Amino acid sequence: MSERITRAQIPLSELTITPGSACQGCGAALAARLAFKALGPNVIRHGIPCCPDSVTQTPRVSTVFEGGGAQLTGTSRGLKAIGRDDVLAVGFYGDGGTYDIGMQGLSAAAERNEDIIVITKDNEAYMNTGNQRSGATPKYARTSTNPVGPRSRGKPRPKKNIPFIFAAHYVPYVGTASVGFPEDLIAKVNYMKTVKGFRMLIVQSPCPVGWRFDPAKTIEVARAGVQSGIWPLYEIMDGKKFKLNYKPKELKPVTEYLSPQARFRHMTEAEIADIQETSAADWENLVKADEMGKLII
Amino acid sequence: MIEIRLHGRGGQGAVTASRIIATAAYEEGKYSQAIPMYGTERRGAPLTAFVRIDDVRVRERELVHNPDISVVLDPLIAKQQAVVDNLKPGGLVLLNTAYPPEEVELGGDFKVATVDATTIALETLGRPITNTAILGAFAKITGLLKVESIEKAIKKYFPGRLGDMNIAAVKRSYDEVKGPIQAVVKDAPEQKVDIHVGGYGVLKDVSSWRVFTPDIDDDKCIGCKTCWIFCPETAIQWDEEKNKPWIRYEACKGCGLCANECPVDAIEMVRVEA
Amino acid sequence: MSYEVMVGNKAAATAVKLAKVQVASAFPITPQTTITQYLSEMYAAGEWDFDFVNVEGELTSQVVVQAASRVGARTFTCTSGPGLLYMHHPMQVTGSSRLPVVMAIVHRGYKGMQPDHSDLMSQQWTGWGHQYVEHAQEILDSLLMAYKVAEDKRIRIPIAVGYDGYVLSYTAEPVEIPDQEAVDEWLPPYKPMPSILPDEVDPSTFARGWGGGDPQMPWKVHHEAILKIEDVLKETMDSFEKTFGRRYGNGMIEPYRMEDAECAIVAMGTIAGTCKAAVDKMQAEGKKVGLIKLRSFIPFPVTDFQEWAKKLDGFAVVDRSVCPGKGGPAFGKLRDSLYDLEEKPVTLQFHAGLGGKEVRVHDFEMIGDKILKAAKGGKVEQVTWV
Repeated sequence: MSERITRAQIPLSELTITPGSACQGCGAALAARLAFKALGPNVIRHGIPCCPDSVTQTPRVSTVFEGGGAQLTGTSRGLKAIGRDDVLAVGFYGDGGTYDIGMQGLSAAAERNEDIIVITKDNEAYMNTGNQRSGATPKYARTSTNPVGPRSRGKPRPKKNIPFIFAAHYVPYVGTASVGFPEDLIAKVNYMKTVKGFRMLIVQSPCPVGWRFDPAKTIEVARAGVQSGIWPLYEIMDGKKFKLNYKPKELKPVTEYLSPQARFRHMTEAEIADIQETSAADWENLVKADEMGKLII
Repeated sequence: MIEIRLHGRGGQGAVTASRIIATAAYEEGKYSQAIPMYGTERRGAPLTAFVRIDDVRVRERELVHNPDISVVLDPLIAKQQAVVDNLKPGGLVLLNTAYPPEEVELGGDFKVATVDATTIALETLGRPITNTAILGAFAKITGLLKVESIEKAIKKYFPGRLGDMNIAAVKRSYDEVKGPIQAVVKDAPEQKVDIHVGGYGVLKDVSSWRVFTPDIDDDKCIGCKTCWIFCPETAIQWDEEKNKPWIRYEACKGCGLCANECPVDAIEMVRVEA
Repeated sequence: MSYEVMVGNKAAATAVKLAKVQVASAFPITPQTTITQYLSEMYAAGEWDFDFVNVEGELTSQVVVQAASRVGARTFTCTSGPGLLYMHHPMQVTGSSRLPVVMAIVHRGYKGMQPDHSDLMSQQWTGWGHQYVEHAQEILDSLLMAYKVAEDKRIRIPIAVGYDGYVLSYTAEPVEIPDQEAVDEWLPPYKPMPSILPDEVDPSTFARGWGGGDPQMPWKVHHEAILKIEDVLKETMDSFEKTFGRRYGNGMIEPYRMEDAECAIVAMGTIAGTCKAAVDKMQAEGKKVGLIKLRSFIPFPVTDFQEWAKKLDGFAVVDRSVCPGKGGPAFGKLRDSLYDLEEKPVTLQFHAGLGGKEVRVHDFEMIGDKILKAAKGGKVEQVTWV
């Protein structure tokens, strides 16, 4: 599992080329910047339709939306065939290409344990096309395809538990990270570079435009998500070994996370309580798993 | 046929403004067409929209390349020479700015009028969204549309109390617009920054995205690297020798994240001079 | 040089081995299925440096070979019918990206399981070269030639080679297998253009955006590049004959007993073979009709047909597919090729073998009779469903 690093150990080198086309305060742009600091330049960066959050000093390839897992597979196998498996095949994908339209291909790549790295910048909706709901959109969130009205309270169903789904493919590494916790994110990317096989990191990437908050608050929102337990930071090795990386003595209330975001502004007391309860219950399970050092799946 | 180009910022309703103008024209028995120009509009990025008004159905689908009128909704974008590019000679320019027309520095053969639509919007709507506030001034200086038609169109987009507030803004800008006068500056000065970009990828200079600019006080700075680590645009660089941050301003979009995160309040977000 | 009595699918797999393909990927679908098994066995036996990726669907298999080709491996995939339709989306990326992937299509019409050409014909817009072959030997030879043409620096276009399912995939016939050394010398190793390895890529490409520029240019460039396949295919056929002793016409078309013919039957795939038998019969009876086997559908042999049209009175075009509501693809394209000629031969449309319907020698005799009658001014319906 990852080894903690300090702020001083975060590499100074930058692989991003800016200014780019990201919105002000883009969480995904920061996710790319941090991840690529750790990945280094010996990478072929793979993309699929997504927000144009960043451009990096790496060769880039892209393919159809649903082809994320397949293109990483092809590159990885091709690199091996030409004797260049020193080069990393890295996908930097959104939640659409990971949770929904891209899930089949990624699941199959995980099942085959392809030697690839998947980094998902999770902004919890199809943001590039105007904030339509995805399987990553949390319960009650307002999106353009889950509006709030007499017949709808935002998204009716909870967010898919993608890390556990991929862990159940028994792959070497599945981790969660947040742009609000850069040392943890970079430590996890560092670790992923030391192992072979299917590695995945889901990075919480708050989106000021879609989640509807002041762009200056991107990190505040990220931090509140982690500190309230809504976005836990953990890692799962081989589908079994489990570590909860951030364990405060007491979680902050979920309202600290929900209030700054207008996508949750319509929520009633009962709905907020629902989120608080679910989140607390899920957190208990993670704490137990951490105590045992393993996941029961 | 009259062709109009509007300049605004992503998220500020320039497209809605174009549709309100088109709707108002239709209210008066004219035909119209409102075209948004999709490119890299991101929150805060400058963008362009077009309107055509004619007595017969508008057939052309090409973009407006030589407008009769240019309307600028944002006071910072109003300082970019590009807003008057390709205007028909003798055209008309309406700028949202606190400066009077005599002090406008854009150059060329056109008449210019100004109105402080931002202040009007802040006072009537409580928000600096100027897409409706500027339309009263538009009606006055162009003589193309009656204020009543604009009001009818606004009611279609903003029902109820919101509509009334917007109409109040329209009435004020009708009364407060200054000009038009022939542009004082004759020659076009050099264009410095992008105000509309096609395609995605790396841009040249995003200074025009900023409404506020970060200013770092080196004396207060404790070298904790917080601002540096959290800048999404890699605009803040780290000077290892001095152990201080410095900003690549051409890459800074003015999001304010750095100032918000700095633990010792060493960064101030300063309003960009309009 | 050796030979083996083998089914068409084995001929395809043998070509993959001879070409020393580095990465192949496929998803099993009738009637292509046994190719995936042959390739898996070749992988397991370690017969050469070969990787076969078992994937969960055809779309993925297309993207896998696309990505592997981009990074520098020689690749292969294969599918049939609905599998081809499923990979349509990424197929156009392979075409637009100018990657020299070679794909075998074991024809399966998409209104059933049996063969017709609706599968490959419905992919005309993906920007690939399309070829149709008649027998197992031609499968092996055409796949080898496809690599040479696709990887040619002047071309760099993916090529699909189609052959009829069941009729060819599972029928056994003698196939001559070229020597590995001869193929190694004739088919040089593949080099990607450009390299995307981090230490070889041109760094000025990193900051290049997407969008901007004349949006029509990518289409124009792609279209014109595919048209260039004609010359390179003809060159490759010459070189193939020189090295391996076999040829199939000039690569674009293969005329059969056309020396004294007044009319030509135009057909693709296995039914062209049946037609050859019919031509022998008809010419023995003094009927002056021959076959022009259509091998390359994209690019279409426009100039070849214009040349032949000067000598002929009629073309009977047999399409083993129909674009519903539009018509037969080869018939339409052939007529368009002849439109500007001063004197135009009569043209008739035949649909034969759709849905896998058996096409017999006597069907071609009927076709021959009809075109000869029409060429002499007789009244014959323009479209016949055989």
